Amino acid sequence: MKILILFIMIFSISNVNANEIYNLLKIPNLEVYKLKSNNNIRYLNAVKNFQIGSNKNITCDKISKKNLSNKFPIIEKNINRYNSNFLQKISLKYIVLCKNLKISNINTGGIPDNKKRTLILDINFNQKNFERMIHHEIFHMIENSFPKYFNEKKFSSFNNSNFNYAKCSTCSDRLNLDLYENTDGFLTEYSKSVPSEDMAEIFSFLMINKKKIKKKIQNDKILKNKVNFIELNLSKIDKNIL
Amino acid sequence: MIKKLQASKSEKILFGFLIILFLFSFSSFFLLKNKCIFIEKININNLRFDNPNNIVVMNLDCGNVVIELYPEIAPMAVQRFKTLVEKKMYDGSAFYKVVENTLVQAGDIEYGNIKFLDYSKIGSGKSGLGLLKSELSNEFEFTEGSVGFSRTSEFNTEDSEFFITLKEIPIYQGEYTPLGKVIYGLEILQTIKKGDKAIYVLRPDFINTIKMFKSN
Repeated sequence: MKILILFIMIFSISNVNANEIYNLLKIPNLEVYKLKSNNNIRYLNAVKNFQIGSNKNITCDKISKKNLSNKFPIIEKNINRYNSNFLQKISLKYIVLCKNLKISNINTGGIPDNKKRTLILDINFNQKNFERMIHHEIFHMIENSFPKYFNEKKFSSFNNSNFNYAKCSTCSDRLNLDLYENTDGFLTEYSKSVPSEDMAEIFSFLMINKKKIKKKIQNDKILKNKVNFIELNLSKIDKNIL
Repeated sequence: MIKKLQASKSEKILFGFLIILFLFSFSSFFLLKNKCIFIEKININNLRFDNPNNIVVMNLDCGNVVIELYPEIAPMAVQRFKTLVEKKMYDGSAFYKVVENTLVQAGDIEYGNIKFLDYSKIGSGKSGLGLLKSELSNEFEFTEGSVGFSRTSEFNTEDSEFFITLKEIPIYQGEYTPLGKVIYGLEILQTIKKGDKAIYVLRPDFINTIKMFKSN
């Protein structure tokens, strides 16, 4: 009986997703969009909807060529701000482009996977903050690669003692990505979710509008400490990113 | 009185056609069963190479596949491959993973040999010589007939398994350690048995032998 089950598993379940991209990334239904770039990033796009993860809890839908050709220059422009050496350090080589990206049915802008050196991006996610979202997700790859530089406990200690983050990034309704007028230690509502999202929000704003953030921190000591923390630790990885 | 029936002209033509069809089907059945029938045999004794020390000959049921190894790109990997060839550890190795028109994979020393095939573990076997560091190249292009060292999803896990591409796979560039290129007999690799529905092949084809060219 055991042997029969084994045979069924090996010869029936491992199935038609047997193309060369799947072999490499374990994501089905992808095709190469752009293979060669200055910083060695390879771009792939979904030609059919796909489901991945142990419980197929990550889903993303195919995108049209027209949609992709509209968004791709924006994505590439932002990714090109990172040099190949830095991208190698943070284990990023493949960017998978699709739409309606969900993890356990919750919409998300991107899913980083350092082990597979892949970042899945939803090209339709929050158009207002789309470019910043790219850098936000890149930060998650940075912190996953260098957890010792981005210690959450140390970062959290900059906040007022009576402030508590949520237990997880989706455990609260603090999801708004718009920049606060009065920052008071946090750039956006989403910054208040968990320390890693707070750090990612700071990093993404520094990448998109550094001047504005530098101005904001002049009157916000907590935020100033946080920004300094991100800049200092990032410079240990690459001095020229920020 | 019984009248002798005479076939009409059209009936004769139809009958003749049916006989030809039967003969054609019968012969085709046997001809097509022989997958090697259209494979041109290579006489390796007639081949000459500038550097025969980097040439290996893989003998399969349909003939010889000649591979040139590239030690200048992946010295450790090529050395490991040569060691396994010289120890005859690839002889009898199963092409257990075949992606149609894309690649064939063999070289599981522990669980993928004709003498001790273990379908439940195939693909996870070790050579006993330890894992190697990946030797990646941004210059080596995985064109048709490229030979690469297989690995797990992690780098630096190369051991003995290798694959040969049956088409150009640009995305493999810089991802897998290159071992060399097939210089003769690529069409033989196209005859290797595929799985019906899966990439893993039940009752796979085997490598008869792999030898260094100089020892032939």
